Amino acid sequence: MGLEIGTNPMDMDVIAARLAAEFAADLTDVRVQEPDTVVARCARAALKDVARRLKAHAEIGYETLNFVAGVDKVGHLESVYHVYSWKTNTYLELHVEVPKAKAEVDTVCDVWPAADWHERESWDMVGIRYLGHPDLRRILLKDDFVGHPLRKDYVDSAENHPHA
Amino acid sequence: MLDQFATPEPDEAVKLALRRIEESTARGEGSDVEGLAFNEVVVNMGPQHPSTHGVLRLVVTLDGELVKDVIPVIGYLHRCKEKLAEKRTYFQYIPIVDRTEYVAGMNCEWGYVMTVEKLAGIRPTRRAEFIRVIMAELNRIASHQVAVGTFTADLAPLGTAMVFYMFRDREYILDLLEEVSGARMMFNYFRFGGLRYDLPDGWVEKCRGLMKRLPKLIDEYESLVQDNAIFLQRCVGKGVISQQDVIDYGITGPCARASGVAHDLRRTRPYSVYPELDFEVCTESHGDVFDRYQVRMQEMRESVKIIEQALDMLPKGPVQLGSLRAPYVITPPPGECYTGQENPRGEYGTYIVSDGSRYPYRLKFRDPCFCNLQLFPKLLSGNKIADAVAISGSVDLVLGGIDR
Repeated sequence: MGLEIGTNPMDMDVIAARLAAEFAADLTDVRVQEPDTVVARCARAALKDVARRLKAHAEIGYETLNFVAGVDKVGHLESVYHVYSWKTNTYLELHVEVPKAKAEVDTVCDVWPAADWHERESWDMVGIRYLGHPDLRRILLKDDFVGHPLRKDYVDSAENHPHA
Repeated sequence: MLDQFATPEPDEAVKLALRRIEESTARGEGSDVEGLAFNEVVVNMGPQHPSTHGVLRLVVTLDGELVKDVIPVIGYLHRCKEKLAEKRTYFQYIPIVDRTEYVAGMNCEWGYVMTVEKLAGIRPTRRAEFIRVIMAELNRIASHQVAVGTFTADLAPLGTAMVFYMFRDREYILDLLEEVSGARMMFNYFRFGGLRYDLPDGWVEKCRGLMKRLPKLIDEYESLVQDNAIFLQRCVGKGVISQQDVIDYGITGPCARASGVAHDLRRTRPYSVYPELDFEVCTESHGDVFDRYQVRMQEMRESVKIIEQALDMLPKGPVQLGSLRAPYVITPPPGECYTGQENPRGEYGTYIVSDGSRYPYRLKFRDPCFCNLQLFPKLLSGNKIADAVAISGSVDLVLGGIDR
């Protein structure tokens, strides 16, 4: 009846090795973070394709998006996707580097519907523009707010919130 | 001069709702009444509305009594929690975590403290682990009492009777928590490697006494509503969350378990001493409003079981690490860490990026209500507006967590 969890248990090292081999062109720096997460970097241009293939993977299948976090790494921005595999009961953390000058990355809304609000939050807070997002409005701050407060170079001023 | 009677300019959410109506009219799904372009009305529900339990605002498109479309608007309780973390040390941030999802403060604190401990490689003392379990489970019962109590108040047949029964008994739990931590909701009780205080004298006996009484009290709640025909009519078969929704939207907690998904981080990703404790993951199969209510009722019983076991197994010893007498300055090594914790509402995750300094470089909460709320447009559309109130009550949202 129910959606089973952990039907295909796999060793973390095995998962990391499989991902590194099958996505050799797009995923780099694949490593295991104890106890249950595989961390990898993904090329920005390949993100949507990788996301599709990760979700459809027959044995691992990262079907659920847990959250998206925007991180300002000073030199560049990072969009972090945290996805969950029901079959192996493990996580994958995808780091996508986004240059500050052109802070844009493809949306994964159409792959994982849960990405919708998380991407809006990341846009709101860190200012990463998700191309192809159906409704990329601010989510936590007001519509007329100026700037992205979780950028490390953000300076707060009264002009930034006109209706406060 | 400001004209206070002027019609305010519609904001982005209302504009979006109007735009969607126009689009559906253009597709030929417009009004069946001659002379009207469409027969849909956009109604603002909230942010100040008794049935949204907080400052949730829903821009609802109504066709008569039928909900056609819902656009949730959040952010009215945004207090920059993630920004605040940049200028506070790991230690200074503990009381702020209480204030994210304030109905289950102990659970939230635990989630945060656990993540920092994992990042810094600290192992809490064994006695502290058991007390943490007791606190989290007590808070889970109190939180479910708020959830079910206010939810039944939204369903007219009982009026507010259930709320008073549940809030009466919640007081007993809050008294216990207050005796331990000094506060009723904003506990500030967890510390890296342990807890702030040990249990006061005689507390264990008091807690045991309450655990003896609670199952009877839960039976009493059930006898109030379970056989009420109006209650059942308004709950059974309404607001069904399918397993595909659980997968697509990352629904967690009682909402997922009511749909037959046995996802409970205490079991699927065991942390602390939960592997040593015997309890069941409560699941139901239909995923409707009634099943979500039932899962919460069962979970209260399971929590009582867990607390009784933890009290029996409670070891002697310190509740704070000797090496960390003054854990005010903590500097985890550079890196990042995510930990999920089973909050009463679902997976409460904390994601921390550390740069090796005293301050968290980036802190993000993955709030269960934020993810569950995202399903609302799909969940509420097609229902009657009165049922929409019942459904949103059954999902159990806490806006403090959603807005952060």
